[in-house]
Amino acid sequence: MLTAPLGAADDAIDALLGDPAIARLVTAHRQLEPRPPRHAPWPHDIDPRVVDALKRRGIDALYTHQAATYASVAAGRNAVVVTPTASGKTLCYNLPVLDGIAGDETARALYLFPTKALAADQLVELRALAGAAEIGLKTHTYDGDTPANIRSVVRAAGQVVITNPDMLHAAILPHHTKWFKLFENLRYVVIDELHTYRGLFGSHVANVIRRLRRICNHYGSDPIFICASATIANPRELAEAVLEAPVDLIDDNGAPAGRKHILIVNPPVANQELGIRGSALLTGQHLAERLIGGGVQTIAFARSRTAVEVLTSYLRETFEPPPGHPHTIRGYRGGYLPNERHEIEAGLRDGRVRGVVATNALELGIDIGGLDAAISIGYPGTIASTWQQMGRSGRRAGTSLAALVCSSAPIDQFLAAHPEYLFDASPEHGLVNPDNLHVLLNHLRASTFELPVPAGERFGIAETPTLLDVLQEDGWIRRADDDRYYWSHENFPASDFSLRSGAPENVVIIDTTGDRHRVLGEVDLFAAPLLVHEKAIYIHQGIQHHVDRLDWEERKAYVTRTDVDYYTDADLGITLKVLEVLEEADPPPAGLRQRGEVMVAWKVTMFKKLKYHTHENVGWGSISIPEQEMHTTATWLVPPAELVNRYDRDTLDGALIGLARVARTTASLLLMCDPRDLGVLAQVQAPFTGRPTLYLYDATPGGVGLTERLFGLTDDLVRTSRQAVESCPCADGCPACVGPAIEVGARGKATVVELLAGMS
Amino acid sequence: MPPSRTLADRLEAVRSRPVAPARAGADGPDRLDRLARWFDARTDVVEGGRVLVVERWVAVPAGTAEALTGRAAAAYFDTETTGLSTGAGTVIFLAGTARLEGDRIHARQYLLSDFPHEPPLLRAIAADLASSERIVTYNGRTFDLPMLAARLTFHGLFAEQASLPDAHDDLLPDARRLFRRPLGGARLADVEAGILGVRRTSDCPGSEVPTRYFGFLAGGSPDILAEVLDHNLQDIVSLALLEAQLCRLRSGGWREARVLDPRGMALDLLRLGAVDDALELVESAQATTDDPAEANALRRVAARLLIALGHVDRAEALWQLGTRRASVDAAAAWIEVARIRERHRGDIAGAMEATAAASRVLDIAFALGRGGSMSEVGRTRIAVERRLRRLRRWVAAAERRAERARRTAARTPRRAVA
Repeated sequence: MLTAPLGAADDAIDALLGDPAIARLVTAHRQLEPRPPRHAPWPHDIDPRVVDALKRRGIDALYTHQAATYASVAAGRNAVVVTPTASGKTLCYNLPVLDGIAGDETARALYLFPTKALAADQLVELRALAGAAEIGLKTHTYDGDTPANIRSVVRAAGQVVITNPDMLHAAILPHHTKWFKLFENLRYVVIDELHTYRGLFGSHVANVIRRLRRICNHYGSDPIFICASATIANPRELAEAVLEAPVDLIDDNGAPAGRKHILIVNPPVANQELGIRGSALLTGQHLAERLIGGGVQTIAFARSRTAVEVLTSYLRETFEPPPGHPHTIRGYRGGYLPNERHEIEAGLRDGRVRGVVATNALELGIDIGGLDAAISIGYPGTIASTWQQMGRSGRRAGTSLAALVCSSAPIDQFLAAHPEYLFDASPEHGLVNPDNLHVLLNHLRASTFELPVPAGERFGIAETPTLLDVLQEDGWIRRADDDRYYWSHENFPASDFSLRSGAPENVVIIDTTGDRHRVLGEVDLFAAPLLVHEKAIYIHQGIQHHVDRLDWEERKAYVTRTDVDYYTDADLGITLKVLEVLEEADPPPAGLRQRGEVMVAWKVTMFKKLKYHTHENVGWGSISIPEQEMHTTATWLVPPAELVNRYDRDTLDGALIGLARVARTTASLLLMCDPRDLGVLAQVQAPFTGRPTLYLYDATPGGVGLTERLFGLTDDLVRTSRQAVESCPCADGCPACVGPAIEVGARGKATVVELLAGMS
Repeated sequence: MPPSRTLADRLEAVRSRPVAPARAGADGPDRLDRLARWFDARTDVVEGGRVLVVERWVAVPAGTAEALTGRAAAAYFDTETTGLSTGAGTVIFLAGTARLEGDRIHARQYLLSDFPHEPPLLRAIAADLASSERIVTYNGRTFDLPMLAARLTFHGLFAEQASLPDAHDDLLPDARRLFRRPLGGARLADVEAGILGVRRTSDCPGSEVPTRYFGFLAGGSPDILAEVLDHNLQDIVSLALLEAQLCRLRSGGWREARVLDPRGMALDLLRLGAVDDALELVESAQATTDDPAEANALRRVAARLLIALGHVDRAEALWQLGTRRASVDAAAAWIEVARIRERHRGDIAGAMEATAAASRVLDIAFALGRGGSMSEVGRTRIAVERRLRRLRRWVAAAERRAERARRTAARTPRRAVA
């Protein structure tokens, strides 16, 4: 009933592309030509049961990249596979693992996924494949959702254990004696979504791998690592950094693809003077309505959870089903409970769900197949995640479409003006710094708990002996007569720290509307002050809830259903304190440039009520939630004194806002990182320098090395920023460069250029 | 990394705890001998090294051995560890085994002189335990034995692990069942003070145990371990005394026991198959208690026992005893009578009668102000009404069925009886 006739999607996409009203907004249009499949013969030594099972499931031959991965693993080499979504990447690792276990049932494998949802999907996939091959594979997920009675079975008998790095860190490695069957026979370690293991999280995961290797070594195993990653600039480098071993790169994609249109869409200019463009959300909504209306199964990605819910309710209004029928439009984001998510995924597969609005591609399960169209509303922050979102559309045959709708954020406007950056420039590098001392010391403690460390052993860095001495002085470990360091503290070190920069606890949202309270979902501790502060309107599946009370200590938010014509948006206030200067440009070329350790504190102090559709401000309120703090590293720039003395305070105030905005955009381009990984703060009279100062800080505790690199690039930063502002065609500031004049002042743009000129 | 700062400087900045305890003692390999002298201990040579064994004999009250007649000879076992987590970094540094030899307990305590000497220590502990048919512990099911298994696995001592006796009795669940409610806790110390009459003179709190061992390793005097050894010794001695006491209670001693949870004891007897004893216990406890809630709970256990034994009449009579005085409890007792009549006798009319009685009693209790809180009366009232409604529906349905059967019978032409 709901499935459109074959070919209707192609027609609807063609109609959309042919519409002049749409064409006016398209700043770039690329077409990916259909690509035929490229197959490779079955490896001759593969278990025939596995081949038969695949044939029964409609796989008559392997794609080239699948065969290449098999060959690498068969030769005992680590591999990283980099191919797009829906190219049969999962089979790249399931094939050698299943074949290995079919040949030797004592062999074990460990699968790591960044989220529990992905792990749960993989379990289903792997069981289906093993079942078809009639291989009695014992496999289960091992995470927070695993029932206690199953856990001991998984520990003793699980041939494939599917878990996440956090669980490996806190529950498996420290208790390795309970897992000795796994570690004794560990033949394969699969790390999927490798690209998510970058930055601080990746640095932690690299150390977890160091600990894993020590334990494998203790039990006499030496597993092969098979990684899979979305497109990034340096997959092999990232894999080798995380694994600290040579890795084969497999990026020759043999999977077929239909024709695909990729668009960059810029909403029309709404206010010429302010340089403000129409809302990306509304433009995205319009595109989605056209596509869904034409029978095109569409997924739209919005940047915030609020935007997801707002867009879901808009689309539901448009595609209101007849009474008694379920909605064909669904929201999908992290806060939903697992069965709710599975239901949506199933609806996408069987066509009952025609449109989905989601926060990011990773939260989606792996098994939804290719959709007809994907719309990214706002640049998701990195080239890699843009391609990942766009990769959600694409079919083996038939036409598909992917569109990026630019918001007024500077980096979005940069992309609208320079689409070649998206199409031609290399995507981001995955950076990790496993030797970040904050990170490494914690893992060295955890590793000593797991196995005593011989005095000469090297844990990642050559300075390991010094670190061990430090830990001994601090009373954590002790060197015994046999020249090994033993854990000598009653604490359990792995529970002292978390692998994710986000706090480990979530805030639980409780709906008190009915007779019985019910858990609506969860938000992480970092996002909670923004989303579920008291009097916030929290939207879940398009239904508004008023937050009546936030119990911060208990991590609970109590909400009731409501129906109002506004939504809420909270403001984040940031303060920064310099703890120590580590480096200084000497002699200061122009003004002052320094790098050091800082304490950044943030607090949500007030929120606005914004009316639906018009987005006008209809009220505000204050928020009292304790301040959050983070110790990290920063690079800061101070313009020369004689230059800043020329301006009055108001001019300087506005210009610094503009300077911060453009510096963040260019810094994230220079570092090829997500702008969100980099914090920026401009103070007109900074307490530390006593002068106007622009701080750029690593947005992860302890830092992952971004600002060290940036410190070496400050000349480029100043020069590129100046070019970006000067080359912008606007008169006196627009959201694409320094920001609209209303924010940065009438002379804002000119002042920013003068400041940058004086600093170069 | 910036060249301007040395690693040492950077380490200084990341240091989380600036306390620096004393460096490892310089006594090195002599540590074991020093400990042996201090505690007047024996050193045994086993595969992989030497082990320190402190042997002690403790007199036990007469009758202990008699009480345990019939039980397989046991090693009473307890460990002291460097932490509470059972993760791979927690080590057993002291393990005690105790055996009853006549009117004395023969205890052996295995003390770890330093971490590198753990394998011989584990071999000695395993060999000691393997010489008994049975291990008895307090919370050993979740702690001591998994801990020992983890350490043996860590060092690859699988043969030693396989040699451990299969029979294991953890006394914690028994102690919980019998003593937790009357004692307000079931830690071994609670049981010692409240049941065994053991007074610990100098004791080291369990939470201090790891700290003391680390203190010793860091160069402290062996003296700080003396209390830990005493603590461990007392634990294994108490284990033997406790098992003897449990045996006494089970073989009729419950009749004289001062401190005992009758419900727990009844369940315990039931598990042993001593149904008559369990019933006697419950009936007598019910007669003596002055707490109506407790009396009801006991009555419930007793009624269940009686029904299990097939004595439905006695079960009903037991509940009827509780219906004498008009109160909410009496109404609850009437409901139980109704339940027995309905479920175990199939007597719907009788059940209706009892439920109606419950309703009546409730009205009187309410009128006399004996109802207890309003909500209690309300809850009972709702339960009574629900049962009444259900019974009425049952009766009505039964009547309808009977009516239909009658009509069908009337319509069907009578067949000739063969």
